[in-house]
Amino acid sequence: MRARTALVIGLTVVIAVVIQTTLFGRLRVVTPDLVMLIGIMLALTRVRTEAVLGVAFLSGLIMDLLGASLIGLRAVVYTTVAYVAIRTRERAELGRVTIALWAGLLTLLGIVVLLLIGTLFGQAALLGGGAASVMILVPLANAAVAALFAPTFVRLVDRDRTALRYL
Amino acid sequence: MLTSKQSDRALPTFITLLVIGVLLMTFDVRLEGGGVVAVLRSGTQAIVSPMQRVAAYAVTPIANALDSLSNVASLREQNAALSAQLAESQASLVAVQDDLAKLALLEQIYDLETDGAELGQTVANVIGSVDAALIIDKGIRNGVLAGQPVIDTNGYVIGTVESASSGSATILPITASRDGLTVLVGSQTGTLVTRPFSSDLGLEMDLDVFDAREPVLAGDRVLTSAASTDYPAGLPVGEVIEDASPESTSLTTTVRPFVDPEALRFVIVLAWPPDPVSAVTDDTIPEEITDTTVAEEATSTTTTPEDDG
Repeated sequence: MRARTALVIGLTVVIAVVIQTTLFGRLRVVTPDLVMLIGIMLALTRVRTEAVLGVAFLSGLIMDLLGASLIGLRAVVYTTVAYVAIRTRERAELGRVTIALWAGLLTLLGIVVLLLIGTLFGQAALLGGGAASVMILVPLANAAVAALFAPTFVRLVDRDRTALRYL
Repeated sequence: MLTSKQSDRALPTFITLLVIGVLLMTFDVRLEGGGVVAVLRSGTQAIVSPMQRVAAYAVTPIANALDSLSNVASLREQNAALSAQLAESQASLVAVQDDLAKLALLEQIYDLETDGAELGQTVANVIGSVDAALIIDKGIRNGVLAGQPVIDTNGYVIGTVESASSGSATILPITASRDGLTVLVGSQTGTLVTRPFSSDLGLEMDLDVFDAREPVLAGDRVLTSAASTDYPAGLPVGEVIEDASPESTSLTTTVRPFVDPEALRFVIVLAWPPDPVSAVTDDTIPEEITDTTVAEEATSTTTTPEDDG
């Protein structure tokens, strides 16, 4: 991974973490999970798969360290989502709608895994109430953000203006 | 665009990271959030909190505007309810001021001295949240230490400080805590526990009274108990919303906490216990000196309501 690419990814993760913990941490309406989405969208780039998994793990770890949940909980979940994203990324190439659906489904998977592992480790209350609404609203919000920004993000990371251009 | 070749190292990397993640979780559980884990949390918060503060300046008006838009439909009703509440509060305030004047007079007549038990308080802004935990803009250098109780501006219990860095701290609300809270309902002591994945965003908790002698009624106030090691006694927590009678020797009912953590903008961290030296340490143990010094320094840097004017 080149230094510039690493810098772009690092900055994106930091901005996502700050926005997630401030703006989206304060809003009581529909909010996306930007940090999880970074791991998903990175799977669409030419960045090495190991690096994508590493970034997903580290960004999850940062979220764990900033919150009060178990350290490693989100790291495991984001890594799992990134791995599934890497294995299924060919299905998202067709257009913005498929990217949105793909990102939404992966987010749903992430939330289910988060609630599952969180419950096993006694973190259910900390992960917040209203699990059903979270499982609907966050994937929808992530799908919308992915549809809007995934092509731009991929072009920025890959430095390829032709990437993910649809008619 | 995508390349068709996928690295064969993706699966081994994935498995390695999963193992590391599970090890970290196990490590955190075993250490109960202390030791290296606490240091890691403080370090990360110290790095990220300046950026969060800057972002909070820009974000707060946006968040407030969006919150207002989402609440605009109920503003008229809220206004009417708040006006009525204000009138009641003003009447109560006058009554309390009368009582305080009488008390001061009696203390003067009988030459009594107050016990000086006023707790140091640190007022902090909520600058963000992760899951149910709140992030505030005050930390160790403002006298905020892990374990201290946190209340809102009305004096209602919010939770405790989970971790603190030099300039920020993370608050764990009672509605998200795994540990039960020892409370008092009337003359009975019970345990307040969270209700995970509740449909009403965790705003209801279960109250278990194991040596119940009398029923509890809807509207009964729930206060922190003197048996609690995390909070001073007598702080209001919430109110019972369902009548319940003892079955055998125990009863279970539902309590609605007074505070909705998601709606908070300001919190107050209490420097409690007021004397951490006598509460926590033993004079015969020399290793405790460092901890107590930090606690003393922290207590001395907190501001009291009088200081705030």
